[in-house]
Amino acid sequence: MGQILLAGKNFDVDEDGFLQNPEQWDEAVAKDFAPTEGITEMTEEHWKVVRYIRDYYLKFGVAPMIRKLCKETDCNLKRIYELFPSGPAKGACKIAGLPKPTGCV
Amino acid sequence: MSKKKIRVEDISKPSEKLTHTEVKDFPPLPPPYDKLENLPKWDPLKCSNEIESSLDDTIAVALPKPKTKQEEQELVRKFLSGLEKLFTKENNWPFLQLLTLTMEHCAKCQTCSDACHIFEASGRNDVYRPAYRSEVVRRIYNKYLKPGGKFFGKWKHGDIDLNWTTIARLCELAYRCNICRRCAQTCPIGVDNALITHELRKVFSQEMGIAAKELHDKGSMLQLKVGSSTGMNPLVVKDNMDFIDEDMTDKTGMTIKTPWDKSGADVLLIHNAGEIMAWPENPGAFAVILEAAGISWTLSSEVPAYDGINYGLWYDDFQLARVVIKHAQAAKKLGVKKIVVGECGHSTKTLMVIADRVLTGDLNIPREAAMPFLEDIVFSGRIKLDPSRNDFPVTLHDPCNMVRLMGIVEPQRRVIRKICPQFREMTPHGVHNYCCGGGSGFAIMSGYNFQTWRKHISGRKKFEQILNAFKGQLSPDIPKYVCAPCSNCKGQIRDFLFGYDAWEKCRILYGGLVELIVNAMSDVKPGFIEWEWH
Repeated sequence: MGQILLAGKNFDVDEDGFLQNPEQWDEAVAKDFAPTEGITEMTEEHWKVVRYIRDYYLKFGVAPMIRKLCKETDCNLKRIYELFPSGPAKGACKIAGLPKPTGCV
Repeated sequence: MSKKKIRVEDISKPSEKLTHTEVKDFPPLPPPYDKLENLPKWDPLKCSNEIESSLDDTIAVALPKPKTKQEEQELVRKFLSGLEKLFTKENNWPFLQLLTLTMEHCAKCQTCSDACHIFEASGRNDVYRPAYRSEVVRRIYNKYLKPGGKFFGKWKHGDIDLNWTTIARLCELAYRCNICRRCAQTCPIGVDNALITHELRKVFSQEMGIAAKELHDKGSMLQLKVGSSTGMNPLVVKDNMDFIDEDMTDKTGMTIKTPWDKSGADVLLIHNAGEIMAWPENPGAFAVILEAAGISWTLSSEVPAYDGINYGLWYDDFQLARVVIKHAQAAKKLGVKKIVVGECGHSTKTLMVIADRVLTGDLNIPREAAMPFLEDIVFSGRIKLDPSRNDFPVTLHDPCNMVRLMGIVEPQRRVIRKICPQFREMTPHGVHNYCCGGGSGFAIMSGYNFQTWRKHISGRKKFEQILNAFKGQLSPDIPKYVCAPCSNCKGQIRDFLFGYDAWEKCRILYGGLVELIVNAMSDVKPGFIEWEWH
């Protein structure tokens, strides 16, 4: 367990850098998270994906299925990997402030 | 080997690291992976002040260091009392015989070492020998648990010092083995070193409350609480399956509607719920096949009967039993004729074989693995198949739990030979297969640098086998398919293919068996398999 300084505040993160308390997330946090996942600038396309993941998580308590994410945001998987080089789970979900995905995924 | 030999008793001697793993020691891979720049980066883990990390260059359990001497002593005491329980009939009746045989009869011939993919891929690191771990346990058993052991054990069986260092390292070492039991298969005496891994994890979990968090807190505990280790509750899983149904309807041109909680159905299908989240085309393809074949089937929305996983198999007998019973109760409630377990190796073995020792009376409902179930459908003539739709190189991975450990060898092969004109076997295969390197829960464990350890070491042999199976066709112009009918194996294969960039460099994709079947169905729209990295 460690801490990370994002948007001028300290956050508890797990060993892979996922937020321990997802409710602490805000857009400033996401902006500061982005470079740690190989993203130089958060574009509107990034935000569309991040907001969809975030809203789904707040509603259902889990990350959306990747296929659903692609369909709802109109980004195919190739595009998601271009936007988030570390992938939808480790990249996009982390930036959206979700905890690390669990189970056989 | 020029490296200093690591002796069994060295495990008890405090040092920064008992051993190191270095890329230069790992056996070479076929081109293009003979070049260092094409390999994933290996960053050995540094020592930590808070976490026990003195075994090697990675960590899986990440055990917090005890704060006081008393705490250490208490854990040592608990370990020894737990170990003692393993050797009593009332506490360990299912495993006692094989455990005792393993303790008493190992001839230390090291035949098992050559069978172990982790030992080989590490550059033959002594600490990763299947017998190293067992020999540590054997010496503790002989010295601390046998009458007169403290006087004679050392001389007769070799010395060991049972201290906190030994236990902290053993705890991590119990998570450097895939429990694939290739070592047990090759042992001329019948010693089962993988059982020792299992028994160690059990002592840590059941007696000391220590387990990899992906398996326990975020695995079996989450499954029992909300219904699935993925975190999906019954509402979410239904919503996701609705989405999959729509997607399948679009893709195939058939109308797909997954039945839920249908009383009296012939088949209760239990998927690994990770499939629904990460590989929706797999449960989708099952639905397409079952609908097309006119099977009476259902899923259950009962907690946790929509998630077939049973991580207890890997570390805790009680957790296993809790989940197995709930699976059987859900089937009983629906009054189905049988349970069919989806493409998931560990849950197939758990529910079909191990569950026989847990389920009694009317809970002992008939259960079938997906492979023979699908074989029956494919050869019944109920679905029309056009093998020319699968005219690309295909190889087959044998999930250890289904194949070596259950003997389900031919059903999936008969299906693939029928529908994949360019099928080729890996060497070796069938019951002599190598583990994917994700077995025993590794595929879902990725904290710190453990995922990179999996790519370099535990997954190396399988990656080499895959590259060799497609020898001469590795060009990215030729799309290739590794059929791995097991969620855990698929997760591991995905991770190492991604780590080695094998989709971009060699165009190797992976997936299950049902996807190949639907891809060949002439009544559905062509192109079910999407040649896109996922």
